[in-house]
Amino acid sequence: MVSAIFRLMRNKRLFILMIGLIVFIALMGFTLGRTRLTWPEKFINDAFGTVQGVLYRPVGAVADFFRDLGRLSDVYKENEQLRMTVAQYTQDQIRFNELETNNKRLQEALDFTEHQKNMDNYRYLIAQVIGSTSNPYEKTITINRGSKNGVKPGMAISTVDGLIGLVSKVKNFTSTVTLVTSLDANTSKGTPVSASFLSKPDSFGIIEYDAETRTLQMSKIDEKDKPAEGDKVVTSGLSSLFPKGVIIGTVKNSQVGDFGLTYTATIEPAAKFDHLREVFVIVVPEVDEP
Amino acid sequence: MKMRTNWVILLGLVLLILENSIVPWLVPPAWSDRLLPHLNFILTIFVAGYAGRHTAFLFGLGFGLLQDLLSYGHLIGPYGFGMGLIGYAAGLLAGYRNFTIVVFSWAVIVFGIMLDSIVYCIYKLFRITDLVYSFVFYWQVAPTALLQLLVALVMYVPVRRYLVKPAVSSGDESPE
Repeated sequence: MVSAIFRLMRNKRLFILMIGLIVFIALMGFTLGRTRLTWPEKFINDAFGTVQGVLYRPVGAVADFFRDLGRLSDVYKENEQLRMTVAQYTQDQIRFNELETNNKRLQEALDFTEHQKNMDNYRYLIAQVIGSTSNPYEKTITINRGSKNGVKPGMAISTVDGLIGLVSKVKNFTSTVTLVTSLDANTSKGTPVSASFLSKPDSFGIIEYDAETRTLQMSKIDEKDKPAEGDKVVTSGLSSLFPKGVIIGTVKNSQVGDFGLTYTATIEPAAKFDHLREVFVIVVPEVDEP
Repeated sequence: MKMRTNWVILLGLVLLILENSIVPWLVPPAWSDRLLPHLNFILTIFVAGYAGRHTAFLFGLGFGLLQDLLSYGHLIGPYGFGMGLIGYAAGLLAGYRNFTIVVFSWAVIVFGIMLDSIVYCIYKLFRITDLVYSFVFYWQVAPTALLQLLVALVMYVPVRRYLVKPAVSSGDESPE
């Protein structure tokens, strides 16, 4: 028995394979759930990111041009639709201005602190996408804004259509963004995104992605907030780094959740997650430490 | 046969950049999470066939780790481990068999499926994915392996012509 083990140990290949396996599992365990990067990692990422950006952006522009050519026939219809939306917006603008002045006056009257007043003044940092990776379980994109521009891990990233992801690793001049498609409550990845319905600001649910149906799931919705089909779902901004009111998608259908006490809604994402060119980093005003 | 090592490493870096910047645009939107070719994996198989298993192991390990680093969202290491192992295994195969185009095609398919499976297993082990293997295989592994075969066959002639130093004879598939 012992001699058999010794013979096995003498097989150098197997021995090295075992050592390699142990080293790699240690490496993976160590890098799991880490947010700070060491400088060689930052340097390599920034260097590759810059070179990738030189290729990714022009190729994207050309690809988009050809796609737009294909959609030329839809432009007329889209234009009509946009004109109607704009008319709607001008009406809303009047109402919005009135409400905003009213709100300001009331905030003054109630002695809001400067921080409380600025809570909803988000800064939108425009960023160009400079790469996307081929790892199926970590669909990440790289953007050309980093810690030098004030990006922090956990910030929300959106396109004009809606939320697409969270900043996961920040380098000096580039950052890696984890897409919403890799959010999953059943796994060990953390960072759940809380959401609410646009029509019911007090409602609450947790967003996760279902890769098999390619839709988002909103779970743990309270009994009294029964989701209606076509409801808009927005982020609820319960964490300090996360903005409020970024569109996630619309409700497609809903069913009673696991224990019959909550609802689960299937949500059609508003944004597309592939072939991205320009995104916004949403910077929430700093909370002063007490 | 020997390979021009410096040029192979340079090509590896170029392929890595292409993979992250140009390939996403070439894949149509509906297929963008199904066709995810790993260009450096294909180059690793070439290295295994023409430069031996130790070079292929180091090549796969290095470029795998680099790729992990660039896509770092959750953990570093799956591709480093998978590509290092596959470089060595493909090198062993090339040592036993004559490395013809048929053997090469089969190696790209089989090792491609192996690489994606190893990566899947690692993510499953760390509970980062909860997809079932049959779905992953149908959804991503099989189409990707076929696309990789296509890319590998396109690369076959240029790699042989420019990166493999002719030892006995050049061009044709003569035994060593």
